[in-house]
Amino acid sequence: MNEKVTINLWRFGILIVGVAAWEWLTGIKAVSKIPGLYFIDPFFVSRPSKIVERFVYLNSDKVRLTLWQMLLSTVESTFIGFFVGVSTGFVAGLVLGRNDRLAKIFEPYIIAFNSLPRIALVPLVTMIFGFGLLAKVVLAWLIVFFIVFFNTFQGARSVDPDLIHSARFLGATEGQIMRSVVIPSALAWTFASLTPSISFALIGVVIGEFIGGESGGGIGYLIISSLGTLNAADMMVSLIVLAVTGIVMALGIKQVEMRLLRWRPEYQQR
Amino acid sequence: MPRVRIEIRNLSKTFREGGREVPAVSEVALDILDKEFVALVGPSGCGKSTILNMIGGLVAPSGGQVLIDGAPVVDVPRQVGYVFQKDTVFPWRTVARNIGLGLEYRGVTGPEHERRVGEAIRLAGLVGFEDAFPATLSGGMRQRVALMRTLIVEPEILLMDEPFGALDTHTKLNLHAELLALWEGKHQTVVFVTHDLSEAITLADRIVVLTRRPGRIKMIHEVKLPRPRDVIKLRESDEYAREYSQIWHVLGEEFIPEGG
Repeated sequence: MNEKVTINLWRFGILIVGVAAWEWLTGIKAVSKIPGLYFIDPFFVSRPSKIVERFVYLNSDKVRLTLWQMLLSTVESTFIGFFVGVSTGFVAGLVLGRNDRLAKIFEPYIIAFNSLPRIALVPLVTMIFGFGLLAKVVLAWLIVFFIVFFNTFQGARSVDPDLIHSARFLGATEGQIMRSVVIPSALAWTFASLTPSISFALIGVVIGEFIGGESGGGIGYLIISSLGTLNAADMMVSLIVLAVTGIVMALGIKQVEMRLLRWRPEYQQR
Repeated sequence: MPRVRIEIRNLSKTFREGGREVPAVSEVALDILDKEFVALVGPSGCGKSTILNMIGGLVAPSGGQVLIDGAPVVDVPRQVGYVFQKDTVFPWRTVARNIGLGLEYRGVTGPEHERRVGEAIRLAGLVGFEDAFPATLSGGMRQRVALMRTLIVEPEILLMDEPFGALDTHTKLNLHAELLALWEGKHQTVVFVTHDLSEAITLADRIVVLTRRPGRIKMIHEVKLPRPRDVIKLRESDEYAREYSQIWHVLGEEFIPEGG
């Protein structure tokens, strides 16, 4: 049997065994005499069967906002935050990366701002931008901006000076050097930051949804409202949906990255 | 009497390294004529690349000056093409788009662009690799791309900084033959930096031997081998051996370690 099949079989096996154990262990009565006490209490960790049941229920028309609609809200905010963060981070990184004086002037501010835990800004962002979509986007942007900024900044600084000289000898103007040498070199670094950026954008949005309440909506809101009703099954549904969403988005971005960086040796198929 | 294209007047360069002044080039004076192929030869660190960079306007001299066609070099001169030792092919562009760079910068587009790039690719023997990215090419092929990218804009002066230094002997000889064939067609004025004496004799009309750091001109040798030259047969000839021993007699002293 080839290696890939073996690995996939193992992966699938672990999933089946894990889910089965979860279902079984939360079902058997413990040796304890106290009534209602399970070996592992489904009150806290729920059960696969219950999770599936709630998943179906949350997507039915019995609820005001379906799970699908909440997911769309989360994904929408994540993508907007991601694109705004990537574009502003890229431009800022490029400008400061190519201008030593500006970089020196802004250095202490950037370091100070970056060392601030982003989560500490959540209440302030909520105060300024309210409880809706805007606050979630701003939170995602604050995180993504710095990741992309630092990468692009490094990229713009490490442009090989001999490539710039070659362009100059071939008759390039300053503008042409920017377009044909500096931006493509820096982009290679920027692209490498896209996959972590999309994951971090999702983190920012979910935190925003924790605070945002019903008007912000989204999966984060479902989690926090399940805390209010002590509903572990709904939390588990949310977590699984978030995990799948995170994987799909990261894989999608990875595909884009591979396409854009296909000239790199590590992406060449010989 | 052919006119002087590059006039090097008492050129000196001192670098500052950790607070110390390190002289790299000292009082070099040399006239390079139109259509002449000159090789600068010397041990590593003798400042030969620095001289080339000063001719190309990449490094400002500490003393003296360089004139190209009578005008002092301040920035990268327009009539000059430069081939670097290091791989400077743009990795994110395909072979064809690398070779077409200079035309793109000059606004040459459409059929004219296609035609000239196609011809350059044919001359470089890179047919079939037009859409390949540099990462898939060998070192020799990449250096061919770099050479054609420089030649496509038809510079009258060509500065080459050990362009074949990183290649194996076989590839190197092939590229010597190709470079000479291209040069026989256009007769650019070439300044070629190398530490490989065989390479210098194979290619050049005149060989300038530099001393150890700080680089000074030790000897200027006229290579009397007839052209066009066959890079393989040339090496078996008695004339080649004679040229080699004459220059080696002088150059070899520079390879003896200091105090040795």
